[in-house]
Amino acid sequence: MAANSKKSEEEDSGEFADFMADISQEIAQRVESLDAATKAPPEPKKATPLPRDAGLILEWENLPDRMIEEMR
Amino acid sequence: MSVVNYGTREITCKIVYYGPGRSGKTTNLQHIYSQLPEERKGKMVSLATETDRTLFFDFLPLDLGTISGFATRFQLYTVPGQVYYAATRKLVLQGVDGVVFVADSQSRQLAENIESLQDLHANLADEGFDPRTIPLAMQYNKRDLPASEISPIDELDETLNFRGVPYFAANAINGGGVFETLRSIASMVLSRLSAPAAKES
Repeated sequence: MAANSKKSEEEDSGEFADFMADISQEIAQRVESLDAATKAPPEPKKATPLPRDAGLILEWENLPDRMIEEMR
Repeated sequence: MSVVNYGTREITCKIVYYGPGRSGKTTNLQHIYSQLPEERKGKMVSLATETDRTLFFDFLPLDLGTISGFATRFQLYTVPGQVYYAATRKLVLQGVDGVVFVADSQSRQLAENIESLQDLHANLADEGFDPRTIPLAMQYNKRDLPASEISPIDELDETLNFRGVPYFAANAINGGGVFETLRSIASMVLSRLSAPAAKES
């Protein structure tokens, strides 16, 4: 009876050990994925493509008149 | 409640055992406590009445030590099952990370199980949690009772487990199914650590 009782205690203590082993593995995996996410370099910002003629004044016709008009 | 704190390298998870009165919530915690090695045994706080019913709540801190550089703690709580302790149940649910619903398998307790499950959903919603997504495990306890007194697992599961979450048959008084349930809910809670919302403390 005593032997059975001792065996039972050993088996029982194994329950927590098994639990710890599983949880440790789970946490290790999660921490690894979190670390990877934390250390991942930020994605380079993509510049918005501009048209080749951006900023160029293409319509010179009546330009002085329009400028004077806007300044009024 | 913060699940993982990168600054202090701590992981803290709060798990609440919910269910109707006398379904075996405290018994679950008592079994876990009895299995802890001496060096990890904190203090299990249990506030019980003279009739041995949980008056306020049970609290079992599980200090798992440092795992992968993180000090890891599980905080296990039970709620009082009796209907008139509604406010306490709500209080205990604050900041919860995962829930174990301990159902009483006795056929005559089915209505109490349903009422308690509805109460859980209402209280979770009141506390700002989504009852449809919070980590949840179902435990059908007291499977050691005579078959004539208990409902079949399939029947219980069909009635109570509409989310289709993991479920476990248990006889907590002998320790059966207790750690399987804990392992399942712990795994569910930990799996959310990688979710972006859980990264911040």
